[in-house]
Amino acid sequence: MTLADARARCPSLATRPADPALDSRELDALVRAMVRFTPMVAADPPDGIVLDVTGCSHLFGGEAELARQAVALSGYTTRHALGPNAAAARALARHGGKNEDVLALPITALELPEEAQAALRRAGLRQIGDLARRPMQTLAARFGEEMVTRLRQILGEASSAIAPRRVSPPIRLETRFPEPLIRTDDALDAIEDLLEQAAQGMESRQLGGRRFTVVLCRSDNARRRLVVDTGRPERDPAAVMRLLHERIDTLSDPLDPGFGFDSIELGVSRTEPLPSRQMALEGAAEDLTDDLAALIDRLSVRLGPNRVRRLTPCDRHLPEVTQKLEPAMRVQAGDWPNVQDRPARPVLLLDPPQPVDVVAGVPDGPPLRFRWKNRLHEVRLAEGPERIGAEWWRKPTGHLAGEKPPTRDYYRIEDAEGRRYWLFRHGLFEETSSPRWYLHGLFP
Amino acid sequence: MADKVFKLTGSAAERLAQAAGSELPALECGRLHEIHASADDRAAAFAFALCGSDLRGEPGKPGAAVFVQMARAPGRAIPAGDGLALLGVPPARLLFVETENELDLLRAGLEAARCPGVELVLLDTRGSFAKYDLTASRRLALAAEQSRCRVIVLRQDAEPRPSAAQTRWAISSAPSHALEANAPGSPAMEATLLRWRNGPAGRRWRLEWDGDHGTFRDATDDTTHRAPLPGTVVPLFGMRESAEGGGPEHTRAA
Repeated sequence: MTLADARARCPSLATRPADPALDSRELDALVRAMVRFTPMVAADPPDGIVLDVTGCSHLFGGEAELARQAVALSGYTTRHALGPNAAAARALARHGGKNEDVLALPITALELPEEAQAALRRAGLRQIGDLARRPMQTLAARFGEEMVTRLRQILGEASSAIAPRRVSPPIRLETRFPEPLIRTDDALDAIEDLLEQAAQGMESRQLGGRRFTVVLCRSDNARRRLVVDTGRPERDPAAVMRLLHERIDTLSDPLDPGFGFDSIELGVSRTEPLPSRQMALEGAAEDLTDDLAALIDRLSVRLGPNRVRRLTPCDRHLPEVTQKLEPAMRVQAGDWPNVQDRPARPVLLLDPPQPVDVVAGVPDGPPLRFRWKNRLHEVRLAEGPERIGAEWWRKPTGHLAGEKPPTRDYYRIEDAEGRRYWLFRHGLFEETSSPRWYLHGLFP
Repeated sequence: MADKVFKLTGSAAERLAQAAGSELPALECGRLHEIHASADDRAAAFAFALCGSDLRGEPGKPGAAVFVQMARAPGRAIPAGDGLALLGVPPARLLFVETENELDLLRAGLEAARCPGVELVLLDTRGSFAKYDLTASRRLALAAEQSRCRVIVLRQDAEPRPSAAQTRWAISSAPSHALEANAPGSPAMEATLLRWRNGPAGRRWRLEWDGDHGTFRDATDDTTHRAPLPGTVVPLFGMRESAEGGGPEHTRAA
């Protein structure tokens, strides 16, 4: 049915654009939720989940009750079926009717291409049972190997193994001490040992940590948590130790061992794939970016991730939003769009734009003089206006008169001392009666 | 041949030669430089610092420019990517660091100067900047020497103070040559060399943006107010030379 047909039949139909990526994420979340019924859960994309409930159903009061609970947990309108194997259950759920007899399923349950199904129908074969009664060799000769494989899977003669989603165990290490550690340096040595063990574990799994959490448990039950984030996956104990030292240096109340630390826990709560590195023979360039990443990590830990930032371009119109300063730990350096054909832009932007008092010759002309920070600047040269309209499409009612944000007229100004400024008038005269002027940028 | 002799005779001869010519000494790699400017001229000083350095669009070089500034400075200005790109400085290479106080600013600057992946460290300071003394500047200079990066201390509204800097400049905006319809022309600035370890100081240059070459050029002797003819001048700073060789030859080439 086309969308127009559907709308004609049901005028109040709500529609949303399809989003396969979001669907697959949702399915993944459901698979994770289903782990409470059985450890063997696999996604059956695009819209199915297979649960191997062998030996699990008695915990939930029978298979039917388990299925009911699983359907209730999913929160969706679903079809489900129980079968002796994964392929049969899938066929029953997708193509079955009321009864659980695989032999009564239509041949569409084989999910063969349309021409193969047509061939089967022409031969008078309408149900799985019709096929199951015939010798497999002749079926394979006539309809192909694939059809027979599917058939044998549904009948349980061939295996239809599922690939269950395996949850990798979190990286968590703990060390306990027979005597509490009184000195902080000893505790740091113990943390370094833990980091080395964690690095071995992560290397065998080709992982690197993005977040390391150290919990220091004191003998009087006080717990101290230290968290360091890295900009790139990392498993080198020395690099993490440097960051931990930075973190300890910037603590508002210093690390106090008190009566000593009983135990220390190390967790790597965020991991990312990190392949083993081959020793570079001539890769000096790679080393330089490594050094820069380490610098960014160190400065981010000491000053805070929002204090070490990078410029990223944004496809927007207003000058203050055409770029964004993003934490350098999170964004990688990207290419800047080509600006060579664009009008002149200042090298420094005042944030926020500073209000100035302006005397203009004609109301919508360039300023003659302006006062900024209590100093009067005589305008010698002026260029403009460069009109930059407000982004009305970002407001739901922005296109209506009166709701539209003011338009800006930008002027490039040079004052008598030779300094160049970027001023704008906030609003046209038809929009506001007395538009304000602002200084937005400084040219070299 | 002359080049070779020149190189061998060392710094005394070089100094003489520099004194004879009126070429502008470049902001050398691996050195500490100071730029004094009034707060109103900071855009000119910023452009001078970036364009005198080796950041200009060589694709192979991965060096970053670290711009360290105080958070909550009055009248704070942030670098604008579009404007930098127009000056030929790739904005993606800029790392923008903000600190709470002057000590953190110096520490962050020093750490960045020690990092081999960094090509330029620009410390944007204002006022007296008491923490920046001889020891601090010497530390910065040593770090710069070791990692071969430029460290530039931008001092707005400040009195010059003894330091370990290789060069000390005073930068101010200069009136541009008006384009048609009284439009402001290309960027221009006055650069005064206040101090130079390798030669006499006190000279003054007028620098003008040369859009054809994508660099600032020496326009001190330009009496006729006209647009520069393309292909007539040697670029002001020998970027590529400085990247490869550094040292005396490059200063001469500039």
